[in-house]
Amino acid sequence: MNNAVILETEGLCKHWGGLKALDDISLKFHDRELHGIVGPNGAGKSTLLNLLCGHYKPTSGKIVHKGEAIDAIKPYAFARRGIGRSFQKTNIYPSATCLENCCVAVQRRMGGSFNFLRSRYRQQVLEEIATEALEKAGLGQRRDQVASRISYGEQRQLEIAMVLATSPCVLLLDEPMAGMGHEESQLIIELLKTLKREYCIVLVEHDMDAVFELSDKLTVMVDGQHLTTGTVDQVRDDPRVRDAYLGQGDEVY
Amino acid sequence: MLFNKRTERYFVWVFFPLALLMPLFLEQNTFYVSKLTTVMIFAIFVMSLDYLVGRCGLITLGHAMFYGLGGYIFVIIAPEYEAVNFWVYTFYICVIAALVALIIGFLVLRTSGIYMIMITLAFAQMAFYYFSDSIDFGGNDGVFIYVKPDTSIFGISLFDLDNPIHFYYLCLLSLFNTLFFFRLVIRSRFGRVIDSIHENPGRTTALGYNVFVFRLMAYTMASALGAYAGYLFTLQYGFVNPSMLAWTTSGSALVMSILGGMGSIYGAILGTLVYEGLHYVLEHLTEHWLLFMGALIILMVILFKNGIAGYLEKLLEKRS
Repeated sequence: MNNAVILETEGLCKHWGGLKALDDISLKFHDRELHGIVGPNGAGKSTLLNLLCGHYKPTSGKIVHKGEAIDAIKPYAFARRGIGRSFQKTNIYPSATCLENCCVAVQRRMGGSFNFLRSRYRQQVLEEIATEALEKAGLGQRRDQVASRISYGEQRQLEIAMVLATSPCVLLLDEPMAGMGHEESQLIIELLKTLKREYCIVLVEHDMDAVFELSDKLTVMVDGQHLTTGTVDQVRDDPRVRDAYLGQGDEVY
Repeated sequence: MLFNKRTERYFVWVFFPLALLMPLFLEQNTFYVSKLTTVMIFAIFVMSLDYLVGRCGLITLGHAMFYGLGGYIFVIIAPEYEAVNFWVYTFYICVIAALVALIIGFLVLRTSGIYMIMITLAFAQMAFYYFSDSIDFGGNDGVFIYVKPDTSIFGISLFDLDNPIHFYYLCLLSLFNTLFFFRLVIRSRFGRVIDSIHENPGRTTALGYNVFVFRLMAYTMASALGAYAGYLFTLQYGFVNPSMLAWTTSGSALVMSILGGMGSIYGAILGTLVYEGLHYVLEHLTEHWLLFMGALIILMVILFKNGIAGYLEKLLEKRS
């Protein structure tokens, strides 16, 4: 049942001075699977994501993408390899239209970014691909609206659309449902269900119901350590997980 | 469309025809012609700064270094008693200034915000003190240019740099070209990336752009144009001196850019005109002109949040 491994970490560590934010994490992310990562606050989920997208440099260990170690390359080069990420805090170009937001993403791989003469408004192909990405993320009807004027939930969708527009092979999603109402979350869940048929998705999320519903594989992290990885049912029944979440009593979901 | 704002189109249609006709009215008075020429030269400089500050979000206090370098490069590379070709030297100066900007930009653009202001200032001050202490380049007095370049192309000389009216038109053309060039760049795909970087650099990196390289390109481009302005200034007055490199030059250019409306590009012309106009009027009214000048500028900045261009746009643009 396993698809090919696309992204892999081997003994990944990130230390901030004496603090081990992430300690010896070895994970495999498969194509066309949604890999959920959960854990209490401060477990190192976001740190892991930041390492995977090249935003941080690992203290030790390496990240392997399609068989090549990529820990030494620059953050923008991660994106060029097809590792796209969305952010926990909405991170878009608020003054531009949704279409323009995605066009910036598409243009990177279509080239011409160093062209001083070619008008940015002559861009049929660019717009087609950008529109496609918007429609995939369910924002087709908001195409020409300014990003700051659409609702918060839609901005989260736009965030995903921008990642899709870069034509990624791995999607790193950092709490795409943060701060959303129930209905909006449901929309994102449906969206992710369709997307995971096409992409390798790494999902960090606090909404347990959503993670349990979506994940093909689930990793639990505690205090920067890898606790367990397995299918949803395996993880749910693991007594250590219950300890991690419920045993301490200070984290209730 | 190149000039995509209605205000800007109006401005271009009013300003440039007026400027074209101006020498006809002022023919008797070369003082005003040369005054206006200086204003237009400085407007080119302010425009290049406006692109960096308003469009790229790179706030620099060292832009005057390139203004001064434009003059000094000419003095360094041109033979002293021989007329050189204007066009060839324009090319040389822009290329050399671009190379300098490439090196300095490489160091400066690693920082951002307040640190970048400080580092650019430091580089500019280094250049300032180097030239004001150097014996070869006349120290504080600067260097005289004994022979102005000739402007022939294939033996045909279209105009004479010693003629103030001719020089006026050369500067007007340069100003228009600069505006046109920046508009072209802003409209281009490169401009899209620059706009994105300005609005959200982190996201632009995450989309796979090498933000540093784009900033470096913009910095190099604007610096080369700043040097061109300095070169024109040098030719107009026939000398260079270190005051061109002083941080006050950067400072007043920054004020003009803010006054005109940051990032609007054509606002640089408005800002320079208003600033220099005020300067000229107040200087003749009172000895303490700086006091009133400062007060007026503060007042204008409070009244026009987005500069003069921003105010005009509020009046003229259709509300959506």
